[in-house]
Order: sequence, then C-alpha cells, then structure tokens
Amino acid sequence: MANIALENLTYTYPEAQAPTLNQIQFTFKAHQFTLLTGPSGTGKSTLLKLMTGLLKLPANQGCIRYNDQPLTTIAATERAGKVALMFQNPNQQFAMDTVENELIFALENRQVPANEIQAKLTAALAFVGISELRERNLSHLSGGEKQKVALAVIVAMDSDVILLDEPFASVDPAARASLLKRLIQLRDQAGKTIILADHDLTDYETLVDQVVRITPDRHLTAVPHADWSTLFADFARTGQTDQRWRLPNQPAKPLFQLQKVALTQGRHRLLQPTDLTLLRHHNTLITGPNGSGKSTLFESLVRLTDYDGQISYLTDDIQTLRRKRYARQVALLFQDAETQFLNITVAEELAQSQKYAYGDYFTPARITAAMQQLNLTGHEDQVIYTLSEGQKKKLQILLMLIMQSPVLLMDEPLKGLDLKSVQALVTLLKSTIAETHQSLIIISHQLTGLAPLIDYHLRFEQQHLQYREAL
Amino acid sequence: MNPSIKLLLLFIIALEISFSLIISLNIALVILAIGYLLLHHTKCRTIGWLLIVPLLPAIGLWSTQYINGTGNKTLMAWVLFTRIYAFVFTGATFTLTTNILQLADSLEQNWHLPSKFAYGVLAAYNLVPKIQHEVKIIRAAGLMRGQQLSFWSPKLYFKAILVSINWSQNLAQAMTSHGFVEDAPRTHYRHCPLRWQDWAIFIVGLGLIQLGLFVIPWS
Repeated sequence: MANIALENLTYTYPEAQAPTLNQIQFTFKAHQFTLLTGPSGTGKSTLLKLMTGLLKLPANQGCIRYNDQPLTTIAATERAGKVALMFQNPNQQFAMDTVENELIFALENRQVPANEIQAKLTAALAFVGISELRERNLSHLSGGEKQKVALAVIVAMDSDVILLDEPFASVDPAARASLLKRLIQLRDQAGKTIILADHDLTDYETLVDQVVRITPDRHLTAVPHADWSTLFADFARTGQTDQRWRLPNQPAKPLFQLQKVALTQGRHRLLQPTDLTLLRHHNTLITGPNGSGKSTLFESLVRLTDYDGQISYLTDDIQTLRRKRYARQVALLFQDAETQFLNITVAEELAQSQKYAYGDYFTPARITAAMQQLNLTGHEDQVIYTLSEGQKKKLQILLMLIMQSPVLLMDEPLKGLDLKSVQALVTLLKSTIAETHQSLIIISHQLTGLAPLIDYHLRFEQQHLQYREAL
Repeated sequence: MNPSIKLLLLFIIALEISFSLIISLNIALVILAIGYLLLHHTKCRTIGWLLIVPLLPAIGLWSTQYINGTGNKTLMAWVLFTRIYAFVFTGATFTLTTNILQLADSLEQNWHLPSKFAYGVLAAYNLVPKIQHEVKIIRAAGLMRGQQLSFWSPKLYFKAILVSINWSQNLAQAMTSHGFVEDAPRTHYRHCPLRWQDWAIFIVGLGLIQLGLFVIPWS
C-alpha cells in the first residue's frame, strides 16, 4: 500500500558538526519486512524519527514520500494511521497510567467512534496475546510486556507502516520470538510494511525480505541476498548456546550471602525465599526471562528496593552499613545509561569519576586510551544527553570502571550496542579487572562476546535463582 | 456527580467559610462530608486518618489564637479549629471519590479546555511517583560516584530538572506517536455528561451554604 521513498535526505543536529544522515536515496517497498542495521550512533533512530515526522526535516534537506505524497503534506491527524514507531526505550512511549487507558487514548486520537473502541481494544490485546494485562498499571510491567503493549497500540491504530527502533534491546528471547511472530503475521495477513532497526541479527535471516545497512559515510545500501549468509553467520557463530560454566565449590570466599531472601513486585512474587552465596573476585552472570526480577535483585543488593530476608556483604548485614560507605563498595551500572550521569559534558563526567575513584589504575593516559578504544574520542565537550544511546552506554561503563569500586553490578551492559562496540568493551573490561580485581555481577540477555569474562552462571527463572552449568 | 461541577461547588464553599465565623456551620459541613464519604463506601479507617492527621495543625491554630489572639479569643480559636476540619473533609469528598482522569475528561468535554492541557496535566500527574523514585535513584547514583547529594544540593535539582525536561520531550513524542495532535478533534470513549441534576445539586448546595451563612441563627 505504501512505498516509502527517501530522496536526498540529509539531516544535521543543530549542535553537531557532521551530518547524521547524508544525501540518502532509498525506497522501501510496500508489504515488506526490512531489517535496518548498522553500528550504534550512525543515525538509525534519527532516520526512523524523521520518517514518522517526530523530528522535523528542514526544508531543502530532501524529502520523504509515502506513495508519492510528501510526509509534510500528510495532515498531522492522518500520520498515525500512515506510520507508527515503536521506541527503543520501553519506558518512554506511554502517556497514560494503565494499558487500557493508553489504548483508549490512542484510539480517541484516531477519532475511532466511541462504540467501536471497546472491540478494537479487545482485538488488539488478543492479537498480541496480552489480554490479561488490560487493567494493569504500565509502570508495573516488565520491558518485554511494555513492548507488547506498544505493539498492541500500533495494531489498534492500524498504521500502514510500522517502524521499530531496537525494540528488543531489553526483551528476552521468548518475548522477542512472540513479538517477531506477530510482526510477520501483520505483514502477511494485514499487508503492513515493517522496518525494524536492530544490531542483534539472530533469527532474522528467514523472516525478513530485505536487509539495509547504514554505511559509515551515512548512506543507505541494501545488502545483496548473496551476502546475507556471511552477514548472519557472524552472529550465529558467536551464539553461545553450547557454553558451559563450572559450578562454584563451596568453601570459597563469599561476597554476598542471601539468607531466605524473597522479592516481590506489587502483589506479584518474583523470588521465593532463597539461600545463596555470590563469590568474591569472580564474575557471575545472571540470565533469565524478562520480568523475572533480575533488576529488582540488583536494586535490593544496593538497597534501592525492599526485600524480605537478609543480605550480607562480606560479613555484615547490608542494612547495618552506612549508605555512603556501602555505595563506595558496591556500585550499580544502571540499565538506563542516563541515570548514571551527574554532570553536563563528557569531560566533566570523566573528571568526577577520576576525582572520587577508589583506586589509581585509571591514569589520564589510560582514560585517553580507553576513550579511543571505545570510539568516544572527540566527544569530550559534547553534552551527554545529545550522545547516541550506544555512546551513552559506552561512556557510562567507562565512568563506572574508573570508579573501581570493589563490586560492580552491571544491568544489561551490552544493551543496544553493535558487535564492534561490544568487542571493544569486553577487551577494556578484561584488561581492567585483571589489574583491579573487581568482582562483577552481570545481568545480560545478550551473551555475544561476553562469555569469556564469566566464571559462574546464575539462572533466575520462575521465582528461583540457582547456579547452572548451561543456559 | 460531574467532577468539574463538584470541584467548583467545593471551591465556592471553601472560599465562603474562609470568611465566616460560624462554628456550627463548619461542624455541619464536616458531618455532611462524612455522610457523603460513607455513601461512597469510603473505609472507616480512612475517615479515622482524616480526623487524626489534621489534629496537630488544628490544635496549633487553636492554641495560637487562644493564647495570643485579640478580641473574642475563645470563639476565634474554635472557628479556626473547626475550619481546618471543614477544609479537610470537604476536600476529601472530591479527592477520595473522583480520580484525575475523570476530572480531565470533564474539563475537556464539558468546558472545552484544550485537550493538550487536559492530557498534559494528566500525564504529568502520572509521572509523580516516577519522579519520587527517580530522586532516590539520583541520590544513590551520586553516592556511587563518591558524591553525596543532600536535599539542598543544586546538583540534585539540576539533575531532576534535566530528567524532567527529557521526560517531557519523550512524553510529547509518545503522545504524538500515539496519534495525538494539538487542537485536533478527538472522540471520547468515556462519556462525561453534564446533566441538569448536576446543575440542580450545584444550585441547591450553593443555596444551602448561603442559608447556613446568612439566614440560620446558629447561636
């Protein structure tokens, strides 16, 4: 129904020197599922936001046409019916309190007659398979559940073109597979045009019609079908499905000891009373489906949320330790990079971490080298909030490494990063902890590149947290 | 009852009792309000809390007036004491029986307030608990970077404001991406009628308060 033509599209952010998108010429064909890929920070989000009209394209900077009709001439009230966008951050796409109210809000905006809203709402929730979430509060949902709600809204609005910006960055494989299945259904049965941006290429080979790459010089090129196998094999090869970890021997140095620790979220139980020991000077990986409570576990380890039972750090109950001292011992790398930042520019953040660092491993020379390694050199004077999501993530990890707190809890440290950035980060992590002897506890869905760093593996599933040899 | 009419009536009542010196009227309002709350199945525990919580400020006002006041000290002390309760209970008849969504619906549908305003306020209201948790997180993030952010720390507020600005932009994008267009016509799933009964209650209520203020010889 809708071919999307990008004609001479150029976009430069007001504060940036180089254009984020440069003279893009491309046509997305209707009823196709296109995978948009490219390193982080190369403008995928910008392109998708321009295509939805959320970012305004300045005049004479090219044109976006839906079936020969320029986007700028499509009435604002018609746009949501033409094109919809699912955001990267599941927390930032809702205006109302509950699932039902959000859907009603969207349908009212689309001027659906009041007597049809009920039926459309029910159908959209049923299509995505989340009818039971209808009356739930959005803020109580997991990332995967929120993305399902976001898809339900798009289904209800019946947009011709569905754009998705890294929609699975914090979604577990089961929820991801379920969402992908719905997208294929939407293409095959409803004739929707789908453009999905992702770094993680797992599972796409047999699903998509087209793979498009943003090149380093900010053009779009379609990857010829003949090259697909090489492209996807890169990811398949690094898949860690047969990875084995040893189980911890008992008389080892404990870092955290959990005694009858139970976690709840609202009325929903996340973890049954559990006894567990986490080990010092070892790196532990925690995996588990989305919404199982991994992040809540981290929040309780740093006393940001309540729990039942007792958690001890080394020898002391963490509730008896002074907050200030404890925070210097056990630091949390937040899932949302922006949460970690306290200043305005990159240089100020680096200076702060250096000033309060726990050890002296990170000399100015080492920081400069690390910045280079992470491809962040040249961004020193940039306002942090204008960095791309990938750049923010890399900076955030560097800042927390510089701190060298004895224990670092990392919540999805690789979220939204491309393969190259992941490799650079893992290299940096390895060389750093070899010297600083920190203990890392890592929550990650994405294991590509991370596996060599891990000593032990904990599985958090169905209210249980246990050591496992395999995934 | 229509939420915006209810709010208007309560506002006028609050304004009028601010200038009245009739203790019995204040008590009558409290009793009426408790009756209304019970009719709407408010828990007795909640009503109990409404009685206990204002006690300290009420006693404070009472004693200030009783000890340091001029003129008829005893009367003024009891007027202020009961007025606090009248405010709390009439206010509760709104806050405990009406949610902000109903009010936004009413303002948009009955008074044709711009939907941008109605939904903007609503969205901001939904953000309040998030902001509280965010402040806690900001302070923890500060400690982990070696910096204590006290309640008077400009950095805490700067960071909170930055987060809010960022959220407000994201919120605007979220609303736009879900089809919201400023000043564009919308349909309404939850119908918020403004019936003659609402006006009747409003006029009768207004009449009663005038009677209580000016006609009934309470003492």
